[in-house]
Amino acid sequence: MKRITNFLLTLGLILPMLVLSTVTKAQNQFDALKKEQDTLKENVSTLRDKVGGVEERVATAEADLAKLTKIKLSGYIQAQFLHYEASNAYPDNVFMLRRVRIKFQYEPINGVVFVLQPDFQPGNITLKDAYVQLNDRWLKTFSLYAGKFNRPNYEVEYSSSSREVPERSRVIRAIYPDERATGAKLEIAPPKIPLKVQLALFNGNDGLTIPDAAGVNINPLNNDFDNHKDFMGRVTYTFKFGNIGALGIGAHGYYGAIKANTTDLLKSDYTYDKKLDNIGKLIKKNWVGFEGQLYFDFLGGLALKGEYIFGVNGTPGYTSKTTVVSPMTSAIKGDTLTLTTLTTSTTTSRPAIEKSFSGYYVYLIKNIGKRNQIAIRYDYYDPNTKVASDQIGIAKWDAAVKTVITDKFTYAGTGPVVATNAQSKTVVVNNLKSGTSDIKYQTITLAYTYFFDDNIKIMLGYEIPMNKKVGTDAKGVGNVTSAYSVNGIAGVYDYSNSLKQNTLTLRLQVKF
Amino acid sequence: MKKSKKVSGLMAIIAIALIGFAFMPAPKKITVKGSDTMVILAQKWAEVYMKSHPTAIIQVTGGGSGTGISALINGATDICNSSRPMKQSEMDKLKDRYASMGIEIPCAKDGITIFLNESNPVKELTIKQLSNIFSGKTRNWKEVGGPDQDIKLYGRENSSGTYVFFKDNVVKTDYAASCQTLPGTAAVVNAVSKDKFGIGYGGAAYAAGVKHCLVKKDDKSQAYVANAETVKNGQYPITRYLYMYLCNRPTGEIKAYIDWILGAEGQKLVTEIGYFPVK
Repeated sequence: MKRITNFLLTLGLILPMLVLSTVTKAQNQFDALKKEQDTLKENVSTLRDKVGGVEERVATAEADLAKLTKIKLSGYIQAQFLHYEASNAYPDNVFMLRRVRIKFQYEPINGVVFVLQPDFQPGNITLKDAYVQLNDRWLKTFSLYAGKFNRPNYEVEYSSSSREVPERSRVIRAIYPDERATGAKLEIAPPKIPLKVQLALFNGNDGLTIPDAAGVNINPLNNDFDNHKDFMGRVTYTFKFGNIGALGIGAHGYYGAIKANTTDLLKSDYTYDKKLDNIGKLIKKNWVGFEGQLYFDFLGGLALKGEYIFGVNGTPGYTSKTTVVSPMTSAIKGDTLTLTTLTTSTTTSRPAIEKSFSGYYVYLIKNIGKRNQIAIRYDYYDPNTKVASDQIGIAKWDAAVKTVITDKFTYAGTGPVVATNAQSKTVVVNNLKSGTSDIKYQTITLAYTYFFDDNIKIMLGYEIPMNKKVGTDAKGVGNVTSAYSVNGIAGVYDYSNSLKQNTLTLRLQVKF
Repeated sequence: MKKSKKVSGLMAIIAIALIGFAFMPAPKKITVKGSDTMVILAQKWAEVYMKSHPTAIIQVTGGGSGTGISALINGATDICNSSRPMKQSEMDKLKDRYASMGIEIPCAKDGITIFLNESNPVKELTIKQLSNIFSGKTRNWKEVGGPDQDIKLYGRENSSGTYVFFKDNVVKTDYAASCQTLPGTAAVVNAVSKDKFGIGYGGAAYAAGVKHCLVKKDDKSQAYVANAETVKNGQYPITRYLYMYLCNRPTGEIKAYIDWILGAEGQKLVTEIGYFPVK
């Protein structure tokens, strides 16, 4: 009994201790868990803050990225090797960079586009495109351009990077030098009708070379020098024949004028037309063109494209006046020495001329598979339709050199005298003769293009320009010749012959 | 001498065999790229076609109609899927590169569906209301008969044909800046299914797990849901064709594949996926 009592007493003492120990242990474990939970909570909170921070950074980055997507960069480089067959070409084989262009396009808000495209050449950067384009956001039909951009013409607007042959046709290069012009343009292109109308107003002098009496171009910066603005309009419409092909037709017109810089105006055949009131009078630059592009799916793409342009293109002349007071001259009059001065006024003029011209080009393009393309182009340019080839070099207008000497001093005395402006002399040189600028050309261009991928293509082109032969004089020499010298060896180009002027082009283009 | 002749003969045979192998036509892989709206349809077409034509290899990728058209112009794909017609500027690029206007093949019809969360009490919307919602002029559901809650917009990325089509034909102005752009209609559907106050748009084939909103031309018109009948007879106001584009007229295996798509079997799959056949 006593043993049982002792056992119970011992148990009574041990059990609370055990319970106390277990409770303490559990409390400790609970505290540890609570601490762990607090730490976890803290960690979660820290992580949440961090995620919040990352989210904020991602949102900022997204916003920055969205701004960047408003800027578009594109461009292309054309590196080429040229071999000229013309005998006056030196060097006759050259490597060159034909185009190095980067186009920056920025669209800050829907419908407003800024475009800037410089052309980089070794030692020279020129501005090609620089314009603002405002697109109508409601009808999506009207676009307004202001700045410097391509003139509205098929071959002008067709980018060099896409063209199937190395260069544009001769007529286009002649009437639209440098392709771009400064002005404003309204473009109307309804989204669901394949119609496009372009109406543009330009300064009109972009790209023109206008020599003065010394042969220096007075238009190097293309700053406008007359009040007249040239108008251009173009309308195109495309007929689609289901999945067989399409025919695009169109017409464009140029209604312009340019300051004459002289007071004599010749007709296209070099006969005298009329006296202009002053050198600020305008001469005509008016022409129209009709274009067509036929696309036909025949074992791959096949295209036939052409354009015919005719009209009147005015060339300003020039007038240059110089006055020279010559050194004193002496004369003996009645045994008395007199000293007089001579004032010589020289006027050198070239009359302005309005030349009737015509030209056309036809392309035949065939794509073979996805990578190969062959193209042939025939183009013709007659810069003066009113002067027959055998009359080139003969047709001219010449006012003949006029020299008038006037005595303004009469001596009647006996003593020595110095007479100022005693004599005046007026010299006028004013003429213009037909020549190389009137020669008709037909040019055949052959080209093969291989597309390596979407960015790189290589083109082999061969251009064969053929001048229409001019007449010869009694000695059998052409009425138009031009002398040249290559490395000290003199030569003469005689345009009564077909001159070899062919050019081989091997071009590598990278576009991005 | 004899040995050397034998060796030469063997070398010649090996050379001829190698040349032969080099010129042996490899199985032609047809690449298809473009519209995300059409990607499940295009994948189904490819899968079924390859089963019945074991030598055919068809690779289908999405990326959006714009991306597909760029790939077609760049020669990176044989067929481009597009949920919108090609733009004039894109056609011009194709013309410049391939001297071709491209080949347009309508291969299915779709009704762009307006997705609402299943708990949203709004049942129908007019085109004008949709325009106001997606342009940000209408910002609260109570303005169109719903709860007093902000409207959450979900849409597609700008490379998507659905984005362009919906913008040109419904929104008719810029999308609201608050419209969250998502890569693919499936993502739009997923977002709307989780957002009680969300609204999105996309191809009819993706509308599982969300509510189809009825659409009407204006207040006076009857509201319709996109289905085979309403899309076919033009009652549903936001219908469109789904296209395949090629550079040139198809030949060989590509032609066979397209003929099959436009045939009974291919068009049956159009219906199975949730779009509507062209005929």
